[in-house]
Formats: sequence, C-alpha cells, structure tokens
Amino acid sequence: MQVSNKPLVILTVITILLTSAIGCKKETNYIYEVEDVQVTKDQSEKTVSKTMVEFISIAYADVFGLTISQNDLGILSLLYLAFGDKVLIEDVLVKNMLNSTEANLPSDAEMRSNIGLYVKNTYLKLYNREPNELESFTLNKKISDNLEMTSAMVYYAMMTSNEYRFY
Amino acid sequence: MSNYIPRRSFLKKTAMAAAATVAAPYILPTGRLFAASGNRIANHVVFCMFAGGVRNIESVLQGRGSLMPGTFIGSSGIDPSIAPGIQPLPLPMGQTLQAQATLFKQFRYAQGPTGHFNGHSTALTGNYTLQDLSIKEPPRNPTVFEYYRKHSDPIQNALNAWWISNALGPYPSLNFSTYPGYGALYGANFMQPATLISELGANALSNPKAFSQAQMQSVNDLRSFFNESFSRSASQDGGSILNENSDKDLIQSFLQNTFDTALAGGLNDPWNVGQQFMNDDMFNVSAAERIIQQFKPELLVVNMQGVDICHSNYTQYCNNLRKADYAVSHLWQTIQSTPGMANDTILIVAPEHGRNLQPNTISDNYGQLALDHTSDNTSREIFCMVVGPPDKVQQNQVINTVTGESIDIVPTIAHILGFKDAIPGGMLPGRVLNEAFI
Repeated sequence: MQVSNKPLVILTVITILLTSAIGCKKETNYIYEVEDVQVTKDQSEKTVSKTMVEFISIAYADVFGLTISQNDLGILSLLYLAFGDKVLIEDVLVKNMLNSTEANLPSDAEMRSNIGLYVKNTYLKLYNREPNELESFTLNKKISDNLEMTSAMVYYAMMTSNEYRFY
Repeated sequence: MSNYIPRRSFLKKTAMAAAATVAAPYILPTGRLFAASGNRIANHVVFCMFAGGVRNIESVLQGRGSLMPGTFIGSSGIDPSIAPGIQPLPLPMGQTLQAQATLFKQFRYAQGPTGHFNGHSTALTGNYTLQDLSIKEPPRNPTVFEYYRKHSDPIQNALNAWWISNALGPYPSLNFSTYPGYGALYGANFMQPATLISELGANALSNPKAFSQAQMQSVNDLRSFFNESFSRSASQDGGSILNENSDKDLIQSFLQNTFDTALAGGLNDPWNVGQQFMNDDMFNVSAAERIIQQFKPELLVVNMQGVDICHSNYTQYCNNLRKADYAVSHLWQTIQSTPGMANDTILIVAPEHGRNLQPNTISDNYGQLALDHTSDNTSREIFCMVVGPPDKVQQNQVINTVTGESIDIVPTIAHILGFKDAIPGGMLPGRVLNEAFI
C-alpha cells in the first residue's frame, strides 16, 4: 500500500506561510487619544476663592490671551499686597488691563455681529461654563437693547463680579 | 517714589526687570463734646509708631545731642563725633511736640521678643506676643482697628480706619485678626505707599479704562445681574476688608489723584526740604498725610522703620532718627492745619521697642559701633508721647518714673474715641494712660 505524503506537504506549506506572514507583518502603531470634551464647572460647585496669584494669572490670561510672565506676576502680586481692600485693588487692576492697547477682547463689532455666540463664548471664557437659558437671554437682551454697551463693559462687569472670584 | 518714567501701556510692555461715614459728634449746651458712641476725648487719633528700634539713650535722653529737635525740648548740639553724618534738614516749625504733650519718659515694652513684628503686633493689639508668632497670619488677638469699628456706636466703616505701613512682609496682616467675632469685617484699610505709589504701581494701575457715568450705571446693572445668579460673595471668604461701594469710588479717585500727582513729580519732594533728604519714612508719613487731608479718618496708624539701619550703621541710625523726627513733626502740623482734625486729634508717638545697651562689632565710617535688639533691658526701654490740644491733653508734662507700657496704647486709643467700655472684659490687659488727659 502506498502511503501518500500529500497532507504532510500541505501542512508544511501552511506552516511556512503562516510563519512568514506573522513574522513579516508590519507593526501597527495605535494612538489612543482623548476625545475633546469641554470641561466646565457648574456655578454651584464654585466654592473656593481664587488666591491672589490665581486671580492675577487668570485675569491676565483672560484679557491678553497670554500666560503672564513670572516677572510680571511678581510685580502685580506686590502691588496687590500693598493695598488692603482686595476687591477694590482687583477692580483697579482689571480696569487697567482692559485699557491696555494689547488687551485681546472681542471687538464691539464682533459682539454685535453675533451676540448669542459672544455671550456663550464670554461665559465659557470668564466663568468657565455655559450660560443657562435665562442668563443667555438676559445678557443677550441687555446688549441688544443698549447700543452703548461695549465688550469692555461686559468684561469689566463679569471680571469684577462675585462668580469670577471663585472656582 | 521718585523719578517716574512716562506712562506706557500695560505692565507687560514695561518689561520691568523685576483707606465716610463719620460718627457725627455734637456739642451739648454745656459745650462739652460728645460723639454717638460714648464720651470721647477727641474724635480722631493718629498713632505714629516711631519704629525700627529706638533707644531712649539717643531719643528722649538726648545722649548724642538733640537729634530730635521737633519732638523733644533740648538745645544741645549734635555730638561732634557723629555730626558730619547727620544731614542738614531744616528745623521743624513751631513748638516741639513735647511742649504740647505728656511725655512718658520711661515707657516699657515689657514682655515678648524685641522683634519688629512682635512690637508692632503688641502695639496694635494691646497684647504681648508671648506665644509663637506666625508672620504669615493675621494676629490672634483683635487689632485696635477691629475694636474701634466693632465697638463704636454706630459701627464705623473702613474709610475711617487706616493702617499705613512702610513695608510689606508680615505688616499687611496687621489690619485685622483671626479672633472669632472680629476679623476682616472690622479691619482697617491698609496701604503700603512705597510699593503702591511707585513706578511699578503707576505703570500697572494708573491708567484705568474710563467709563462714563452712564456706562458705569450699565456696568453696575450688569454686575448686579451676574451677582444675583451666584450665591457667594467676596465678603464670605474673610480674606480682605471691604469698603462700602460709595467709599470705594472715593478711594479709587484718591488713588488716581495720587498716581497723577506722582507721575507729575509732585511727590518727589512733598515737603520742599530737598529731594536728597527724603527717605522712606518721610515718604510714608507724607502718604499718611494725604489720607488725613482727604478722608479725615478717626483712626490712623502709620509707622517708620528707617532707624533699623542701626544693625550695621550707627551714625545713619542717628541721621534717620533726625528724619523721622522731622516727619512726625510735619505730621502734627498737617493734622493741626486740616479742617475737621485740627484741635480734635490726639497724636500718640511711641517706638515698638528699643535697642541693646551693648553694641555689636560693626563699625561705621565715623567709628561708631552698631546696635542690635535682642531683648536686653535697654531694648525694652522706650518712650511714649501723647500730643494734643490743651483742652484735652496735659501740656508739657513729663512723667519720669517707669510708667506705662506698650499694651496700654490700645486701651488709651479706645478711651479717647469713646469705645473702651464696650470692649468685653479680659481682652485688653493694659490700662488707659489717664495721666495724659485733662
């Protein structure tokens, strides 16, 4: 009786193919990313008062769109310490920032061109949350009804409000 | 505060290297003055801490000659061995303070370390700092500002209480304490002019966005809307004193005016004595004078510490004593020429502590050895002067015996302003310096 070696040949070929296939497969680089999520904080969760350094740094970033340098932070911190009523000195500081030629606020034209978007973005920027429907409606109306209202006025009012001092 | 550079855009571009509701007094038909809270001797107190560590030997005893001709009666010349190091300031005008005062010549800083902050804390709280003192925290005992604002009737607002310090470090924290029931709600306005009214301050704070009255109304309306939807307020964290809104506007105007004056060079030599003679103590007192003239506060405390250079330069210590003497004399002249405060103010002058009897080993250009302050007996010997109009303060009276100590200043201020009896018992171990009053 003749014994066929065909199964053995087939098995050998399959083994070689599999081995070569696996051994030569190009490595896949998997990149795991985090989906962009807007991190906001509900106003009721804001219970911690900003420190001096936090207030100055955040206000500077909100007005100029830049991170404050350590040198400027040191200078502003000294000035902040040199007056006792912190709410008052914050008010003066914010008004001076807003008056800088390098303040980077939405222009009045930008504000008027899409007030709804301006309101949403300003809440996100300064309060780190979206406005609720009442807030959005009311601020939108206050801006719409008052043609003298400027973007700087909105920023000044928000940056000297109670919520801005907390996180 | 000198040599302001022209105003530029906000700080980033500069590329730097590196305090009214006055409690209305009324005159009874008898002519005696009363105020709303209790019997008052006067309606204003200014406490000048002649600080930095002043020995009686150089001050009240005039051991090196008349270094303080505005404060003490005396005609002896300055000791020739140090005279070349004393700058020729003009003599203060008018009578010496001593002639208008009761002088406690042997006052004592009796207990606690003879440290500057300990001494300041003791003088402002009426309690010695016998426990560890944290320089990063407000005092544990209420300050005189809190007693004044809380226990006056009606309660006084912050515009009436000011603490003007020559330095930062721990000193800003002396405007209120952590004592339960007191604290920031009753604290004083604090200002450190050397930093705030400076080139740095002018660059960062002197050019605010200007809003019209109508715009400010809109801003206030907006802010009210934002605040209505947020349950917390800045007053809840207790980290800062708060002024009434109307007072804030007054203070902001004052600051702006001060910046504008400084930028125009008007604060470089405010007393016309020569800019080369002005030192930090004189600038600090001149800033206090601006507050006196603007707000007529009922309680103001201002300090000087330039004499502490004595750790390394004795003759410069004497020179700075002379400058501090000029400053406190000028302060009294300003008080007496300010309507509303003239003849209705009592000025208290006292160092926070003295200096050692024995010198250290550091010699200055005139061969004089420097002095530290390490709690020896001499460093506890100070003076106290209560200056006031003749119908309120015993004039030209000198108490030569050991009488009075640092913890007596707060109860004495409370007595003058009429709220002493409202302070709960046991909080102030000192006594009123009754010897000084008519």
